[in-house]
Amino acid sequence: MTFLWGLLWGLAAVMFIAGGAVIGVWWERKVAARIQMRLGPQQLGPAGVLQMIADVPKLLFKEDIVPDNADKPIFRYAPMAVFAPIAMSVAVIPFWAGWAPLDSTVGMVFYLAFPSIGVLGILLSAWSSHNTLATIGGMRAAAQMVSYEVPRSLAVLSVIVLAGSLQPTEVMDAWQWWWIPLTFVGFVVYFIASIAEMNRGPFDLPEAESELVAGYFSDYSGFRWAIFMMGEYGALISASLFGAAVFLGGYRWLPGVAGLAVFLVLAMVLITAVMWIKWTFPRLRQDQLMTFCWTVLTPLAIVQLVVAGVVALWL
Amino acid sequence: MIVAIGCAAAFSLGVYAVLTRRDVIAILAGAELMLGAANVQLVAFALSRGGDGAVVSSFALIVLVIAAAEAAVGMALVVTAYRRTRRTLVDEFGEVSG
Amino acid sequence: MSANDLALAVTVTVMVAGAAGTVLTSDVPRLVISLGTFLLGVAAAFLVMGSPLLAVSQVFVYVGGVLVLVLFALMMVRRSGDEKPKVATRHDLGAAVIALGVFVLLAAVLGPVAADPTPVVTAPNEVGAILLGPSLVAFELVGVLLLAALLAVLVIVKGGEDS
Repeated sequence: MTFLWGLLWGLAAVMFIAGGAVIGVWWERKVAARIQMRLGPQQLGPAGVLQMIADVPKLLFKEDIVPDNADKPIFRYAPMAVFAPIAMSVAVIPFWAGWAPLDSTVGMVFYLAFPSIGVLGILLSAWSSHNTLATIGGMRAAAQMVSYEVPRSLAVLSVIVLAGSLQPTEVMDAWQWWWIPLTFVGFVVYFIASIAEMNRGPFDLPEAESELVAGYFSDYSGFRWAIFMMGEYGALISASLFGAAVFLGGYRWLPGVAGLAVFLVLAMVLITAVMWIKWTFPRLRQDQLMTFCWTVLTPLAIVQLVVAGVVALWL
Repeated sequence: MIVAIGCAAAFSLGVYAVLTRRDVIAILAGAELMLGAANVQLVAFALSRGGDGAVVSSFALIVLVIAAAEAAVGMALVVTAYRRTRRTLVDEFGEVSG
Repeated sequence: MSANDLALAVTVTVMVAGAAGTVLTSDVPRLVISLGTFLLGVAAAFLVMGSPLLAVSQVFVYVGGVLVLVLFALMMVRRSGDEKPKVATRHDLGAAVIALGVFVLLAAVLGPVAADPTPVVTAPNEVGAILLGPSLVAFELVGVLLLAALLAVLVIVKGGEDS
């Protein structure tokens, strides 16, 4: 019975991410168009909203090409290993007072730990393509994601220290409005590191569509390619929801359904900000990327952690 | 009983990997097998003898961290040795200096 | 056989299957997947034994850290070109005898005395209280060790570049 419920929740999470990704693609095209003084999709439906319905069958019916040279079983299933951990990470996000789909006592660490399995999926898909470009792209993506995990975890740790709990719902119960100014640096570090974690612009150099022909997934096409894209949008949605909850207070601003609405709006604002950044800033160079992570973000996160620790002593 | 047998099996598979692999990285993977199996056995033993869960967990956590540090240093050695000699097979490392 | 014993049996089976895969395959991605299966099995065993913090740390440190490191190192020292690079192995009867001996010894000595554990559910804050209380010295020493390991890795890698 528990198993069946777990299955249902898993299905719900996958549908949530997939639906969010489809809407996200449309929204991103609109945001990008507005930034570049274009109109974006507008042919199908009002403001082109039906475009997202047209996109799905297009991807489903594209030919699924598996290169002759590839390690076929791993090539086929590695995209799932990228997508599944991201869908799993949604499970511990506190949506409602005292309720998260999986209200684990170690939920905060769970959220930080599980997306790192996706790095493995990326490396495996890159390796199984048997393609030099893909292998190099995969190694760069892995180096970037493993490095940016450090400041990201440290930033979340400052909230954990303040709340004194690893359980997301308890963190939300303990949350106070003055934590926003106190952990503002931590939030900025979390936000930037999350963008790098999901391989988005300006940190999208592992996949740089126009220059590196999409790095680690250059040999993928059709729906398997779409799974990578869904994973990327899923990471965006999941990181925005988590950031909106633990750093910005989520549902704590208003009681009941209004609180949920505030939480979702905060997450939408974060998602839009990520898209805004992607279409505004030029891409970094690989060495700049690593230097930025280790000499700017990590020390900032450590300082934030010390500040949070000192305040937590007097709490 | 089943945990003891299973961990013994995983541990001895790790021993076999260390003895038969010639690639340094695969040898380290074998060492990881031994460490993981030993850690599970440690926790299982302590709990079956009525140990305090928190003490057991903290002990196993320290073991886990030290094992991870060992793996990191090991990988750094392997990659450096490869850069110098372009080899990763243990039989090929014959010289002590150089 | 209770549900707990069944869960333990399943996780231990996963562990042994992953370990066997790690030892027997000579293909790089399959070796890494097998090792990952073993490490996830270890995490599941911790979870069944009532310590979610250990399970999550295992996933964080091993699957997200060490396993990626292993795959990274394997990819770095090989080219994923047309030829399929194999992990060099020399299967050997003597090694098999030694490994079997280790297994028989461990199973014979530990099997009879080690009853299967009854899970003790441990909250993470209890573990924190132990780490920052009675075993504070050990905790700090681990911190020193990690710093030493970090510096050692830096020195080793940089020293390799100079020559």
